[in-house]
Amino acid sequence: MPPASPSADVLRGTLDLLILKTLALEPMHGWGISQRIQQVSKGVLDVNQGSLYPALQRLEQRGWIGSDWRTTANNRRAKYYRLTATGRRALGEETASWRRYVSTVELILGTP
Amino acid sequence: MMPFDRIWLRLRAALRRRAADRELDEEIRFHLEREQEKNVTAGMTDADAWRRAYVSFGGVQQVREAHREVRGVPWMADAGGDARVAVRALARRPALAGAAVITLALGIGANTAIFSAVDAALLRPLPFPAPDRLVMLGENNPEMNWHMESVAGANYLDWKEQVGAFQDIAAYTSGTGHATLTGAGDPQLLTLEAVTGNFFAVLGGHAELGRGFVDDETWDTTRATIVLSDRAWRTHFGADPGVIGRTIRIDGRATQVIGVMPAGFTFPSSTVDAWYTQGWDRASRTKVWFRRAHWLRAIARLRPGVRVEEANAQFQVVVRRLQQQYPVTNRVMGAGMVPLHTYLVGDTRTALLVLLAASGLLLLIACANVGNLMLVHANGRAPEVALRLALGAGPWRLTRQMLTESLVLSSLGGAAGFALAWFGTRGITVLAPERTLPDSGIHIDWSVLAYTLAITTACGVLFGIAPALWSARRAPGDALKEGGRGPHEGRRVRRWGEALAVAEIALALTLSSGAALLVRSLWRLAHVPPGFDPHGVLAVGLELPQARYDTTPKVNAFDDALIARVRALRGVTDAAIISHLPLTGTEWTSSFSIAGRRPGEYGSEVAHREVGADYFRMMREPLLAGRAFNRTDREGSPRVVLINDVLARRFFPGQNPIGQRLTFDKIPDSSSMWRTVVGVVGSEHQISLDAEPRIEIFTPQEQDPSGDIFLMVRAMGAPTSLLPQVRSVVHDLDPELAIVEVHSLDDVVATSMARARFLTTLLLVFAAVGLALAVVGVYGVIAQLAQRRTREMGIRLALGAPARAVRWLIVRHALGMVLPGLVIGTAAALLATRALRSVLYHVAPSDPLTFVAVPLALAVSALVASWMPAAQVSRADPAQALHVE
Repeated sequence: MPPASPSADVLRGTLDLLILKTLALEPMHGWGISQRIQQVSKGVLDVNQGSLYPALQRLEQRGWIGSDWRTTANNRRAKYYRLTATGRRALGEETASWRRYVSTVELILGTP
Repeated sequence: MMPFDRIWLRLRAALRRRAADRELDEEIRFHLEREQEKNVTAGMTDADAWRRAYVSFGGVQQVREAHREVRGVPWMADAGGDARVAVRALARRPALAGAAVITLALGIGANTAIFSAVDAALLRPLPFPAPDRLVMLGENNPEMNWHMESVAGANYLDWKEQVGAFQDIAAYTSGTGHATLTGAGDPQLLTLEAVTGNFFAVLGGHAELGRGFVDDETWDTTRATIVLSDRAWRTHFGADPGVIGRTIRIDGRATQVIGVMPAGFTFPSSTVDAWYTQGWDRASRTKVWFRRAHWLRAIARLRPGVRVEEANAQFQVVVRRLQQQYPVTNRVMGAGMVPLHTYLVGDTRTALLVLLAASGLLLLIACANVGNLMLVHANGRAPEVALRLALGAGPWRLTRQMLTESLVLSSLGGAAGFALAWFGTRGITVLAPERTLPDSGIHIDWSVLAYTLAITTACGVLFGIAPALWSARRAPGDALKEGGRGPHEGRRVRRWGEALAVAEIALALTLSSGAALLVRSLWRLAHVPPGFDPHGVLAVGLELPQARYDTTPKVNAFDDALIARVRALRGVTDAAIISHLPLTGTEWTSSFSIAGRRPGEYGSEVAHREVGADYFRMMREPLLAGRAFNRTDREGSPRVVLINDVLARRFFPGQNPIGQRLTFDKIPDSSSMWRTVVGVVGSEHQISLDAEPRIEIFTPQEQDPSGDIFLMVRAMGAPTSLLPQVRSVVHDLDPELAIVEVHSLDDVVATSMARARFLTTLLLVFAAVGLALAVVGVYGVIAQLAQRRTREMGIRLALGAPARAVRWLIVRHALGMVLPGLVIGTAAALLATRALRSVLYHVAPSDPLTFVAVPLALAVSALVASWMPAAQVSRADPAQALHVE
């Protein structure tokens, strides 16, 4: 099996975080989430928008988000996702641990 | 979310897979549409916008798969997919699949067939309530070599009363009785059993109509009541429910039908028509003969909760007490207890287990063969597998897929084998000698199906696991080089292939050795002279009812008339009468003493039959000394006997037995009847061909006639063709007399070998198939070897090596496999054939001739099998061979 590149792993973790953060504001469908992430991350998620969907499924199975089908303003059917209570809690924890990670890496990089 | 909810979601997702797929597709479509719209708004054309949306999305299929992998229970869906891929892969190699399926079908079929026989004969419980509480009791007498013999009536009663551990004991007369049912058309012959009143209660059978007997009826001397079996009720009484209370005539006596047993109750034999009571006289209880004559089989039901050992301990206490109380009859009479099931199946256990082991060996050979096929198959697919590994497939996934292929293969083989087994059991039922299998026959039921599934799965895993594990473990780089013929992997596969071939040869040798030993034994048995000439002899059994043939003159008159008339028939060479047939083990036995010997010297277990005047001449048996019986030996004239050769040699070594006197008493006294020996005749095998002839004393039928006789008729042509004429002679003489049994003596001789023939035939079939498979296996390995070394051989040929040398190289390699196989096989066979000791006749389990001939035969077959590929390689065009890649 080809070894997974480190960036993919980090990206996956980041993606989950980004999804949760996006949904913390309001429930949204998959495309909307991808647009928001693009705007906020200034183009990190330009390609491989599709990788969102397995991530959404994973988060849903973990119980951090829930889903239901609704009709959009344009009268089209779309699957809307929302953050659950567990998810909200997890977001806080994940954010905290991410910040810790970043500061640790900064610390290591900072020392000569 | 609770873990259950999570699992529930996954399960639901797995089950609603298609729905989930559709939902995702709808989501993706929505996404793409919105992205397209965005692009159009940004100024692209419709087509460009769609394309850009697609590109931004990434691979749709990957997303689908990743999504699927995250949700659901992957393995369940994958199993179905794996199976489909497996079937397609096998369909692409029909020769391989076909060969594997046929091989497996043979192995699994043989195993299943034998297992169902074992299940029917050995494993199925008896059809009685709480059958494990039932034990068979028998008397032992070390002096006479009795073991689990019939029981004396007085002993039975004492056990019944004194052994507390027995809830109750029932008894029935050993040996089958017959009687004639008259008054309803032609006289019908019934098979009857005389039982104690508690017989049905002890065994646990309840009458379907009317009632069974009660314990007190054991003493009903009138014997005027009878209980019918379901079979008799349907055959002779048309299943008429009004039969209860009806009076019928049995042997001329009025008897009332009081009950009918249900269809499942047919103890002690499947052909029993009716049961009647023993009808003992209470006064007999204290008589000596009641304790001396052994004519009962006793079955005890243990009290609930009592273990067999405890019951036996109590039993032995009572037996010892009786030994002291009644020294005249019981001094050395021991007794034993055997679980009823063991007693009934004991005989056939060894044979069936041998067959089961043999079929197991056959299955192993089949698996080894298929394993080899799978190895080659896997090796051939190495490049494909390596590619998939390189593209990111999980190794476990690949292993699982190859294992699925093996399981699919073994399932197909198992299904075919199951069908084969069905036919096999028909064959076994037909071939099996009497009493080998239970009367209900072999049924393919759930336990057999479960067994088949178990061995099928085991086989699939067995021959599939190794190739599956290895394929996935290879570094892809190696396998992709050189078209997959990297030296490292090829060597391992090759070594395992050869090891499998060696194993096959060893297993085939074991099987063949066993079969060869049995064949030799059977041949020896078939050449044992029975002591008489059976060809063309018809034996007709008659029972003269006591009521009408109560005096010697009456019996003699009938016998004389019968012989005279039968001799006068056309096609009859000669006729005579005897009380019991040889080779059936059914004669009387008793002790005897010789006049003039010391009181302690007596013979025991002497066989004893009544014969008509010309029996020995008719049966073409030699008269070795003195004279045979003649007209002068009648009622009233001095009592004479003939002894057989074995008795003469044992008790009168170097002396002339003619004129000696003997009596049928262990300790002669004033009431003993002395008889004079007038001649010595050749010995017959009384019990079976493989048992030595017993010592025997013959008394003249005219002096002490037996009411149960066999009319022996020697025919010029086929013996059974005389039957109608004999029947009419009997009918003329006595219309109410029914013929009890009819045998052709040739059949009697054949039947005495039936069991040996059955075992030998089946084992021979297994050995032949096993040998064929092993030879094919060797051929396969050598063919691969030859193909692999074609280039090398081509070089050798091109360099001037003679074809012979090239062939020899291949054959030598084959020898290198065959010889270790033979050595291991011989060692294994020597161990295994020890189990055959009890079924071999005059052949040692380590018979040297067999253990030289069989390995030799196998070696020759294997070498012949390796000859073809060797010859093919040596004939190859060297130039062409060098091009082979």
